[in-house]
Amino acid sequence: MKVFKQVIAVFIFSAVIALIVNAVNPKGVPLILEKNIYKQDTTSKSNVGDFINDPYDTTTKPSQFFGGKKNKQGFIEPENISSVLAKQLYDRKALFIDARTKLEYDTLHIKDAVNISYMDFYPKSTAERVDVMKKFGKSGIIIVYCNGGTCEVSIDLAYEIAKLGYNNVSIYKGGITEWKTLGHPVETNMK
Amino acid sequence: MENSGSPGRNQYEMKNLLYNKYFQLALRFIIGATFIYASVAKLFHPAEFAKAILRYDMLPVFIVNIQAVIMPWLEFFIGLLLILGIFKKGTSLLASISLVVFLIALTSASVRGLDISCGCFSLEETSSKGDILFRIIQDIFMLLGTVIIYLFSGKPKTDGTNPPAEQV
Repeated sequence: MKVFKQVIAVFIFSAVIALIVNAVNPKGVPLILEKNIYKQDTTSKSNVGDFINDPYDTTTKPSQFFGGKKNKQGFIEPENISSVLAKQLYDRKALFIDARTKLEYDTLHIKDAVNISYMDFYPKSTAERVDVMKKFGKSGIIIVYCNGGTCEVSIDLAYEIAKLGYNNVSIYKGGITEWKTLGHPVETNMK
Repeated sequence: MENSGSPGRNQYEMKNLLYNKYFQLALRFIIGATFIYASVAKLFHPAEFAKAILRYDMLPVFIVNIQAVIMPWLEFFIGLLLILGIFKKGTSLLASISLVVFLIALTSASVRGLDISCGCFSLEETSSKGDILFRIIQDIFMLLGTVIIYLFSGKPKTDGTNPPAEQV
Protein backbone atom coordinates (compact mmCIF):
# COMPACT_ATOMS: atom_id res chain seq x y z
CA MET A 1 0.00 0.00 0.00
CA LYS A 2 2.87 2.30 0.87
CA VAL A 3 4.51 1.45 -2.46
CA PHE A 4 1.28 2.21 -4.28
CA LYS A 5 1.09 5.63 -2.61
CA GLN A 6 4.67 6.36 -3.63
CA VAL A 7 3.90 5.45 -7.24
CA ILE A 8 0.87 7.75 -7.29
CA ALA A 9 2.82 10.56 -5.59
CA VAL A 10 5.73 10.42 -8.05
CA PHE A 11 3.35 10.21 -10.99
CA ILE A 12 1.21 13.14 -9.92
CA PHE A 13 4.23 15.26 -9.04
CA SER A 14 5.82 14.59 -12.44
CA ALA A 15 2.57 15.27 -14.26
CA VAL A 16 2.06 18.60 -12.49
CA ILE A 17 5.62 19.76 -13.27
CA ALA A 18 5.23 18.55 -16.87
CA LEU A 19 1.98 20.48 -17.36
CA ILE A 20 3.43 23.65 -15.84
CA VAL A 21 6.56 23.45 -18.01
CA ASN A 22 4.46 22.76 -21.10
CA ALA A 23 2.30 25.79 -20.33
CA VAL A 24 5.29 28.15 -20.09
CA ASN A 25 7.44 26.47 -22.75
CA PRO A 26 7.22 28.44 -26.03
CA LYS A 27 7.54 25.07 -27.76
CA GLY A 28 4.72 23.61 -25.67
CA VAL A 29 2.01 21.61 -27.41
CA PRO A 30 -1.78 21.49 -27.08
CA LEU A 31 -2.59 18.59 -24.79
CA ILE A 32 -5.19 17.11 -27.08
CA LEU A 33 -4.05 16.46 -30.61
CA GLU A 34 -7.04 16.72 -32.95
CA LYS A 35 -5.62 15.17 -36.04
CA ASN A 36 -2.68 12.97 -36.72
CA ILE A 37 -0.75 15.21 -39.02
CA TYR A 38 2.24 12.92 -38.90
CA LYS A 39 0.54 9.69 -39.97
CA GLN A 40 2.19 7.66 -42.70
CA ASP A 41 0.46 6.75 -45.96
CA THR A 42 -3.19 6.91 -45.02
CA THR A 43 -4.46 5.88 -48.40
CA SER A 44 -4.64 2.19 -49.14
CA LYS A 45 -4.74 2.83 -52.88
CA SER A 46 -1.71 1.51 -54.67
CA ASN A 47 -2.91 1.24 -58.23
CA VAL A 48 -4.53 4.23 -59.83
CA GLY A 49 -5.63 2.82 -63.19
CA ASP A 50 -4.84 4.49 -66.47
CA PHE A 51 -6.74 7.79 -66.45
CA ILE A 52 -5.00 11.04 -67.25
CA ASN A 53 -5.55 13.79 -64.75
CA ASP A 54 -5.88 17.39 -65.84
CA PRO A 55 -5.24 19.72 -62.93
CA TYR A 56 -6.31 22.71 -65.01
CA ASP A 57 -9.74 21.29 -65.83
CA THR A 58 -11.96 23.42 -63.65
CA THR A 59 -15.22 21.54 -64.23
CA THR A 60 -16.33 19.79 -61.09
CA LYS A 61 -16.57 16.05 -61.40
CA PRO A 62 -18.85 13.92 -59.24
CA SER A 63 -16.37 11.32 -58.09
CA GLN A 64 -13.48 12.05 -55.83
CA PHE A 65 -10.35 10.10 -56.39
CA PHE A 66 -9.55 9.47 -52.75
CA GLY A 67 -13.19 9.00 -51.80
CA GLY A 68 -12.73 11.07 -48.67
CA LYS A 69 -15.68 12.25 -46.63
CA LYS A 70 -15.98 15.80 -45.49
CA ASN A 71 -14.97 16.30 -41.88
CA LYS A 72 -16.80 18.40 -39.28
CA GLN A 73 -15.16 21.54 -40.62
CA GLY A 74 -16.59 20.81 -44.05
CA PHE A 75 -13.54 19.86 -46.07
CA ILE A 76 -11.97 16.62 -47.21
CA GLU A 77 -8.81 15.97 -45.27
CA PRO A 78 -5.64 15.38 -47.26
CA GLU A 79 -4.24 11.88 -47.22
CA ASN A 80 -0.63 10.80 -47.10
CA ILE A 81 0.57 8.86 -50.07
CA SER A 82 3.55 6.60 -50.66
CA SER A 83 6.28 7.23 -53.21
CA VAL A 84 4.83 4.44 -55.38
CA LEU A 85 1.43 6.10 -55.58
CA ALA A 86 3.01 9.53 -55.98
CA LYS A 87 4.94 8.29 -59.00
CA GLN A 88 1.84 6.68 -60.53
CA LEU A 89 -0.08 9.91 -60.10
CA TYR A 90 2.87 11.86 -61.46
CA ASP A 91 2.77 9.72 -64.60
CA ARG A 92 -0.92 10.59 -64.92
CA LYS A 93 -0.20 14.30 -64.80
CA ALA A 94 -1.28 15.00 -61.25
CA LEU A 95 -0.43 18.49 -60.04
CA PHE A 96 2.58 18.56 -57.74
CA ILE A 97 2.85 21.57 -55.49
CA ASP A 98 6.15 22.41 -53.83
CA ALA A 99 5.35 24.03 -50.49
CA ARG A 100 8.89 25.22 -49.78
CA THR A 101 10.36 28.66 -50.35
CA LYS A 102 11.11 29.91 -53.86
CA LEU A 103 14.84 29.54 -53.32
CA GLU A 104 14.48 25.91 -52.31
CA TYR A 105 12.12 25.31 -55.22
CA ASP A 106 14.53 26.93 -57.67
CA THR A 107 17.39 24.83 -56.40
CA LEU A 108 15.64 21.53 -57.03
CA HIS A 109 12.06 20.41 -57.43
CA ILE A 110 9.98 17.60 -58.85
CA LYS A 111 9.79 18.14 -62.61
CA ASP A 112 6.74 20.22 -63.62
CA ALA A 113 5.81 20.93 -60.01
CA VAL A 114 4.51 24.41 -59.24
CA ASN A 115 5.75 26.43 -56.30
CA ILE A 116 3.28 27.69 -53.74
CA SER A 117 5.38 28.57 -50.74
CA TYR A 118 3.49 28.02 -47.51
CA MET A 119 5.41 30.92 -45.99
CA ASP A 120 3.84 33.22 -48.61
CA PHE A 121 0.49 31.46 -48.76
CA TYR A 122 -0.24 31.39 -45.05
CA PRO A 123 -0.47 35.18 -44.46
CA LYS A 124 -2.84 35.64 -47.40
CA SER A 125 -6.56 36.29 -46.96
CA THR A 126 -9.03 33.66 -48.10
CA ALA A 127 -9.86 35.72 -51.22
CA GLU A 128 -6.18 35.93 -52.13
CA ARG A 129 -5.75 32.21 -51.54
CA VAL A 130 -8.71 31.44 -53.79
CA ASP A 131 -7.10 33.66 -56.41
CA VAL A 132 -3.80 31.77 -56.24
CA MET A 133 -5.57 28.46 -56.62
CA LYS A 134 -8.33 29.38 -59.08
CA LYS A 135 -6.50 28.10 -62.15
CA PHE A 136 -6.59 24.58 -60.74
CA GLY A 137 -9.65 22.36 -60.90
CA LYS A 138 -11.17 21.41 -57.57
CA SER A 139 -11.53 17.78 -58.60
CA GLY A 140 -8.01 17.51 -59.93
CA ILE A 141 -5.45 15.48 -58.07
CA ILE A 142 -3.10 17.69 -56.11
CA ILE A 143 -0.04 16.40 -54.33
CA VAL A 144 1.81 18.65 -51.94
CA TYR A 145 5.37 17.96 -50.88
CA CYS A 146 8.33 19.58 -49.17
CA ASN A 147 11.78 18.33 -48.23
CA GLY A 148 10.64 15.06 -46.69
CA GLY A 149 11.53 13.74 -43.27
CA THR A 150 10.05 15.96 -40.63
CA CYS A 151 9.18 18.99 -42.75
CA GLU A 152 5.64 20.09 -42.12
CA VAL A 153 4.90 22.82 -44.65
CA SER A 154 3.50 20.22 -47.06
CA ILE A 155 1.00 19.13 -44.42
CA ASP A 156 0.07 22.68 -43.52
CA LEU A 157 -0.31 23.79 -47.13
CA ALA A 158 -2.30 20.68 -48.07
CA TYR A 159 -4.80 21.40 -45.30
CA GLU A 160 -5.14 25.06 -46.31
CA ILE A 161 -5.77 24.06 -49.93
CA ALA A 162 -8.26 21.38 -48.92
CA LYS A 163 -10.12 23.96 -46.84
CA LEU A 164 -10.69 25.96 -50.03
CA GLY A 165 -12.76 23.04 -51.36
CA TYR A 166 -10.17 21.04 -53.26
CA ASN A 167 -11.26 17.44 -53.09
CA ASN A 168 -8.24 15.39 -54.00
CA VAL A 169 -5.39 16.88 -52.04
CA SER A 170 -2.75 14.54 -50.74
CA ILE A 171 0.60 14.83 -49.06
CA TYR A 172 3.71 13.14 -50.31
CA LYS A 173 5.74 12.92 -47.13
CA GLY A 174 8.83 11.46 -48.74
CA GLY A 175 9.25 14.81 -50.41
CA ILE A 176 11.95 15.91 -52.78
CA THR A 177 14.63 13.97 -50.89
CA GLU A 178 12.99 10.57 -51.41
CA TRP A 179 11.88 11.47 -54.93
CA LYS A 180 15.44 12.33 -55.95
CA THR A 181 16.84 9.22 -54.26
CA LEU A 182 14.42 7.08 -56.28
CA GLY A 183 15.73 8.66 -59.45
CA HIS A 184 12.39 10.17 -60.49
CA PRO A 185 12.39 13.30 -62.68
CA VAL A 186 13.59 16.49 -61.03
CA GLU A 187 14.57 19.86 -62.39
CA THR A 188 16.32 23.01 -61.27
CA ASN A 189 15.92 26.64 -62.20
CA MET A 190 19.56 27.37 -61.38
CA LYS A 191 21.82 28.00 -64.27
CA MET B 1 33.63 -21.92 6.16
CA GLU B 2 32.97 -25.65 5.86
CA ASN B 3 29.71 -24.84 4.10
CA SER B 4 31.50 -22.98 1.33
CA GLY B 5 30.53 -24.26 -2.10
CA SER B 6 27.28 -25.89 -1.05
CA PRO B 7 24.12 -24.71 -2.86
CA GLY B 8 22.77 -23.14 0.28
CA ARG B 9 25.90 -21.13 0.79
CA ASN B 10 25.95 -19.93 -2.82
CA GLN B 11 22.36 -18.87 -2.62
CA TYR B 12 23.10 -17.01 0.55
CA GLU B 13 26.06 -15.21 -1.00
CA MET B 14 24.01 -14.28 -4.05
CA LYS B 15 21.29 -12.87 -1.83
CA ASN B 16 23.89 -11.03 0.14
CA LEU B 17 25.20 -9.40 -3.02
CA LEU B 18 21.73 -8.37 -4.13
CA TYR B 19 21.07 -6.78 -0.74
CA ASN B 20 24.52 -5.20 -0.63
CA LYS B 21 24.03 -1.46 -0.31
CA TYR B 22 26.89 -0.59 -2.66
CA PHE B 23 25.55 -2.96 -5.29
CA GLN B 24 22.12 -1.40 -4.87
CA LEU B 25 23.61 2.10 -5.05
CA ALA B 26 25.53 1.31 -8.24
CA LEU B 27 22.43 -0.21 -9.82
CA ARG B 28 20.26 2.73 -8.84
CA PHE B 29 22.85 5.17 -10.14
CA ILE B 30 23.27 3.45 -13.52
CA ILE B 31 19.55 3.07 -14.13
CA GLY B 32 18.71 6.49 -12.70
CA ALA B 33 21.32 8.18 -14.88
CA THR B 34 20.01 6.33 -17.94
CA PHE B 35 16.49 7.52 -17.20
CA ILE B 36 17.63 11.12 -16.78
CA TYR B 37 19.78 10.94 -19.90
CA ALA B 38 16.82 9.57 -21.85
CA SER B 39 14.53 12.33 -20.65
CA VAL B 40 16.77 15.33 -21.28
CA ALA B 41 16.33 15.58 -25.06
CA LYS B 42 12.56 15.33 -24.69
CA LEU B 43 11.84 17.56 -21.68
CA PHE B 44 11.46 20.75 -23.66
CA HIS B 45 10.60 19.36 -27.10
CA PRO B 46 7.20 17.69 -26.71
CA ALA B 47 6.28 18.13 -30.39
CA GLU B 48 9.25 16.13 -31.64
CA PHE B 49 8.64 13.46 -29.03
CA ALA B 50 4.97 13.32 -30.02
CA LYS B 51 6.05 12.55 -33.57
CA ALA B 52 8.29 9.78 -32.30
CA ILE B 53 5.33 8.30 -30.39
CA LEU B 54 3.04 8.66 -33.39
CA ARG B 55 5.45 6.71 -35.55
CA TYR B 56 4.75 3.69 -33.35
CA ASP B 57 1.14 3.98 -34.46
CA MET B 58 -0.15 2.39 -31.24
CA LEU B 59 -2.06 4.99 -29.29
CA PRO B 60 -5.17 6.94 -30.15
CA VAL B 61 -4.10 10.29 -31.56
CA PHE B 62 -5.67 12.43 -28.84
CA ILE B 63 -3.55 10.79 -26.11
CA VAL B 64 -0.24 11.24 -27.86
CA ASN B 65 0.48 14.86 -26.97
CA ILE B 66 -0.35 14.48 -23.30
CA GLN B 67 1.91 11.45 -23.17
CA ALA B 68 4.65 13.39 -24.93
CA VAL B 69 4.34 16.12 -22.30
CA ILE B 70 4.25 13.94 -19.18
CA MET B 71 6.44 10.96 -20.04
CA PRO B 72 9.81 12.81 -20.18
CA TRP B 73 9.24 14.44 -16.79
CA LEU B 74 8.16 11.15 -15.31
CA GLU B 75 11.37 9.59 -16.63
CA PHE B 76 13.36 12.50 -15.26
CA PHE B 77 11.94 12.24 -11.75
CA ILE B 78 12.15 8.46 -11.74
CA GLY B 79 15.86 8.83 -12.55
CA LEU B 80 16.43 11.53 -9.99
CA LEU B 81 14.62 9.70 -7.19
CA LEU B 82 16.42 6.45 -8.00
CA ILE B 83 19.79 8.17 -7.70
CA LEU B 84 18.82 9.98 -4.52
CA GLY B 85 17.34 6.80 -3.10
CA ILE B 86 14.02 8.37 -2.24
CA PHE B 87 10.88 6.19 -2.43
CA LYS B 88 13.05 3.31 -3.63
CA LYS B 89 10.23 0.77 -3.79
CA GLY B 90 7.70 3.05 -5.44
CA THR B 91 10.18 4.54 -7.90
CA SER B 92 11.63 1.19 -8.93
CA LEU B 93 8.12 -0.16 -9.41
CA LEU B 94 7.21 2.85 -11.56
CA ALA B 95 10.45 2.42 -13.51
CA SER B 96 9.65 -1.26 -14.05
CA ILE B 97 6.16 -0.41 -15.30
CA SER B 98 7.58 2.19 -17.71
CA LEU B 99 10.17 -0.26 -18.97
CA VAL B 100 7.51 -2.92 -19.55
CA VAL B 101 5.47 -0.38 -21.52
CA PHE B 102 8.53 0.59 -23.58
CA LEU B 103 9.29 -3.08 -24.13
CA ILE B 104 5.77 -3.73 -25.43
CA ALA B 105 5.99 -0.72 -27.76
CA LEU B 106 9.44 -1.66 -29.05
CA THR B 107 8.59 -5.32 -29.54
CA SER B 108 5.35 -4.46 -31.29
CA ALA B 109 7.17 -2.05 -33.61
CA SER B 110 9.80 -4.66 -34.31
CA VAL B 111 7.25 -7.42 -34.98
CA ARG B 112 5.25 -5.18 -37.30
CA GLY B 113 8.48 -4.38 -39.10
CA LEU B 114 8.06 -0.65 -38.62
CA ASP B 115 11.16 1.11 -39.84
CA ILE B 116 11.23 3.73 -37.15
CA SER B 117 13.76 5.12 -34.78
CA CYS B 118 13.29 4.35 -31.13
CA GLY B 119 12.71 7.87 -29.85
CA CYS B 120 14.20 6.62 -26.60
CA PHE B 121 17.25 8.79 -26.17
CA SER B 122 17.34 11.19 -29.04
CA LEU B 123 14.66 12.46 -31.33
CA GLU B 124 16.64 12.04 -34.52
CA GLU B 125 14.84 10.06 -37.17
CA THR B 126 18.01 8.67 -38.60
CA SER B 127 18.38 5.32 -36.98
CA SER B 128 17.74 1.86 -38.23
CA LYS B 129 15.83 -1.27 -37.33
CA GLY B 130 18.97 -2.53 -35.63
CA ASP B 131 18.51 0.33 -33.22
CA ILE B 132 15.13 -1.06 -32.12
CA LEU B 133 16.58 -4.52 -31.46
CA PHE B 134 19.43 -3.05 -29.45
CA ARG B 135 16.96 -0.97 -27.43
CA ILE B 136 14.87 -4.07 -26.70
CA ILE B 137 17.89 -5.84 -25.23
CA GLN B 138 18.88 -2.74 -23.29
CA ASP B 139 15.33 -2.41 -21.99
CA ILE B 140 15.33 -6.02 -20.74
CA PHE B 141 18.57 -5.48 -18.81
CA MET B 142 17.26 -2.28 -17.27
CA LEU B 143 14.04 -4.03 -16.33
CA LEU B 144 16.05 -6.74 -14.60
CA GLY B 145 17.87 -3.98 -12.69
CA THR B 146 14.72 -2.20 -11.55
CA VAL B 147 13.15 -5.48 -10.45
CA ILE B 148 16.28 -6.22 -8.36
CA ILE B 149 16.04 -2.77 -6.80
CA TYR B 150 12.38 -3.33 -6.05
CA LEU B 151 12.88 -6.74 -4.48
CA PHE B 152 16.17 -6.28 -2.67
CA SER B 153 16.34 -2.67 -1.54
CA GLY B 154 16.09 -2.30 2.20
CA LYS B 155 16.91 -4.83 4.91
CA PRO B 156 17.20 -8.48 3.94
CA LYS B 157 14.60 -10.82 5.37
CA THR B 158 15.95 -13.76 7.31
CA ASP B 159 13.99 -16.94 6.91
CA GLY B 160 15.94 -19.02 9.38
CA THR B 161 17.47 -21.38 6.82
CA ASN B 162 20.35 -19.11 5.91
CA PRO B 163 22.75 -17.36 8.21
CA PRO B 164 21.80 -13.70 8.71
CA ALA B 165 23.31 -11.44 6.09
CA GLU B 166 26.51 -9.72 7.14
CA GLN B 167 26.21 -5.98 7.29
CA VAL B 168 28.77 -4.20 5.15
